[in-house]
Amino acid sequence: MRKSSKFGFLALLLLSLFALVACTNSDSSSSEKDGNEGKTEKEVVTTEEGKTVISFWHAMSGAGQTSLDAIVADFNASQDKYEVQAEFQGSYEESLTKLRSVGGTKDAPAITQVFEVGTKYMIDSGFVEPIQNFIDKDKYDLSQLEENILNYYTVDDQLYSMPFNSSTPVMLYNKDAFKAAGLDPEKAPETFSEVIDAAAKLKTDDMKGFSMLTYGWFFEELVATQGGLYVNEENGRAGDATEATFNGPEGLNAFNFLDTMNKAGTFGNFGTNWDDIRAAFQSGKVAMYMDSSAGVKGIIDNAPFEVGAAYIPYADEVKRNGVVIGGASLWMSKGIAEAEQEAAWEFMKYLTTPEIQARWHLETGYFAINPSAYEEQNVKDAWEVTPQLKVTVDQLQSTEPSIATQGALISVFPESRQQIVTALENLYQGMDAQEALDAAAEGTNRAIEIANKTK
Amino acid sequence: MRVWKKLILYFLLIVTSIIMFFPIIYAFMISFMTGGEILSGKLLPSTFSLDNYVKVFDRLPLFNYLINSFVVSLGVMLGQLVVCSLAAYAFVFISFKGRDFIFFLFISTMMIPWEATMIPNFFTIQKLDWINTYQGMTLPFFALAFGTFLLRQHFKTIPKELHEASQIAGLSKFGFFFRVVLPVSKTSLVTLGAYGFLTTWNMYLWPLLVTTNNSVRTVQIGLKQLQSQEVATEWGVVMAGVIVVIIPTLLLLFLGQKQLQKGLTQGALK
Repeated sequence: MRKSSKFGFLALLLLSLFALVACTNSDSSSSEKDGNEGKTEKEVVTTEEGKTVISFWHAMSGAGQTSLDAIVADFNASQDKYEVQAEFQGSYEESLTKLRSVGGTKDAPAITQVFEVGTKYMIDSGFVEPIQNFIDKDKYDLSQLEENILNYYTVDDQLYSMPFNSSTPVMLYNKDAFKAAGLDPEKAPETFSEVIDAAAKLKTDDMKGFSMLTYGWFFEELVATQGGLYVNEENGRAGDATEATFNGPEGLNAFNFLDTMNKAGTFGNFGTNWDDIRAAFQSGKVAMYMDSSAGVKGIIDNAPFEVGAAYIPYADEVKRNGVVIGGASLWMSKGIAEAEQEAAWEFMKYLTTPEIQARWHLETGYFAINPSAYEEQNVKDAWEVTPQLKVTVDQLQSTEPSIATQGALISVFPESRQQIVTALENLYQGMDAQEALDAAAEGTNRAIEIANKTK
Repeated sequence: MRVWKKLILYFLLIVTSIIMFFPIIYAFMISFMTGGEILSGKLLPSTFSLDNYVKVFDRLPLFNYLINSFVVSLGVMLGQLVVCSLAAYAFVFISFKGRDFIFFLFISTMMIPWEATMIPNFFTIQKLDWINTYQGMTLPFFALAFGTFLLRQHFKTIPKELHEASQIAGLSKFGFFFRVVLPVSKTSLVTLGAYGFLTTWNMYLWPLLVTTNNSVRTVQIGLKQLQSQEVATEWGVVMAGVIVVIIPTLLLLFLGQKQLQKGLTQGALK
């Protein structure tokens, strides 16, 4: 008797559990519908003065946030039709995860800032309105924007999102250390073998010659500047990529470059944290390293020695192709009221004006997506003081537009970057370069395969 | 001989306390330094300027964040105390069919990591339209298996005779709970309360998920906003923020130290 009651109870429990699950399912589907219906009614939030209010999700913290908040406040004050509310949503990864859970519902923001490797994911997600629609409708002149930045975000001849904060890698070096080692501080090494030679000369007991952050982005750049592709199907831009190609000769060149210095003891490994490698450079533990162009200004301001900026190195046997941009762009949500989309578009146009871009470039170190910003007087003055900033812009503008420098397009980029990090760590531990690369390529292939299947 | 022993003991105590306290002292020192000083690895700032503190209050609505953190942490703490003590009371003093089974089912939820339930919880909150509200930030944490377990173990040490005596004296079930069980378990309640408060105070991901603007955000999100991703972080400002944020928790710890110690050691001895 007791036993049966126990089982009966268990059955009851299971049943209620199922009922609960079923409930939540029907709940979610019905309220999703509710959400969509709400959208078709086009309810628009307005302020007391009748301004259309839109929210703008961003991932800018620190100095970027200070600057962005000021720009948004200026936009709100500059006209009386729209009110943008800039809201911080955590790191790029965190805000993308949040967007995934609210995308397409009424909680979704009008504008979201998404990092460059999330491009493919956003296009596939189905909850974005391609910016191209507004460009066509408004006859907005795209040619005023930086071509090499637009190239990245243009897919199938459509511009999906408005580029916003863009950066590229640069090589920074300690000019004082160059002098001490008898090298010319005004002429930075350009090719892999030149860097290897310089690193050997620069190495002292407490200073390593060269370092690179253990981060997939830098490896991608070293491959791209040789004209190498990251994945097949023309870097994923002709169709869905099915296979990684970064373990080809270009990738091997880059790995051998790092391996040679590592074996010679001239390479310093400072891990995966941006702040660690910067601290190492500032305290004179490494003479040359690769950093983001957005970080250059902070380094120059804080370094107790003279800092030089140079283009990233490339393999001796090829010509320099240039760099792929990184950073983030702004995406407009689909399914929101037309007035909200209008507001979002107006705000994006405001952001791309030369004055705002000049301000953005100077306050954060990101590129101006509108090159006429570089003609502004305040930018010219700042370049006068820190000519290193100009080097970063020159590197971008001298980039040869090609599939390689357009950048790869895959939806599993974060996973792939993790594979590269593991491969680099293995390489520094003494694994064979080709073997480490192949393992990373295999891992990437697996991730791509799963992503293509579940698409 | 005894003096020697004491000397060694105190020496060891001082050394370990310095090791334990070093991160906080270093953070305190960094909060006065300029960017260059930090990156060149100095231990002491050249001047004790309050620039970083001015900057941190200038950049963030830190006071609002602190108030929000207090409301949320206190809310979770009280909620946990009420729910867990009532649940534990039921598991100990009320006998019903399948009690042990339910208890073990309840306890087994401790095995499910919080992250696994995060997404369903988020959808529930979203459907209730509780995003950007205090209840959305606190309610999912009220039922805590660990807390129920902790209190149940303590309640079990209360002699059955006490229960019987109170029944003879005509106390209702709730009267017994309120006037007998709770007073004798004060130490465990304080321990659970402090645990609940501190974990909530330090929470980052959930408050970030269920808030989209600054109206109810907590201090931990504020600290995150001070750190940059690609641009160099101003660690001086970040550390000034950290110092401001840990002051309330340190105060709480100093004030409640006696109770807390008692609660923890009593639990350990049993």
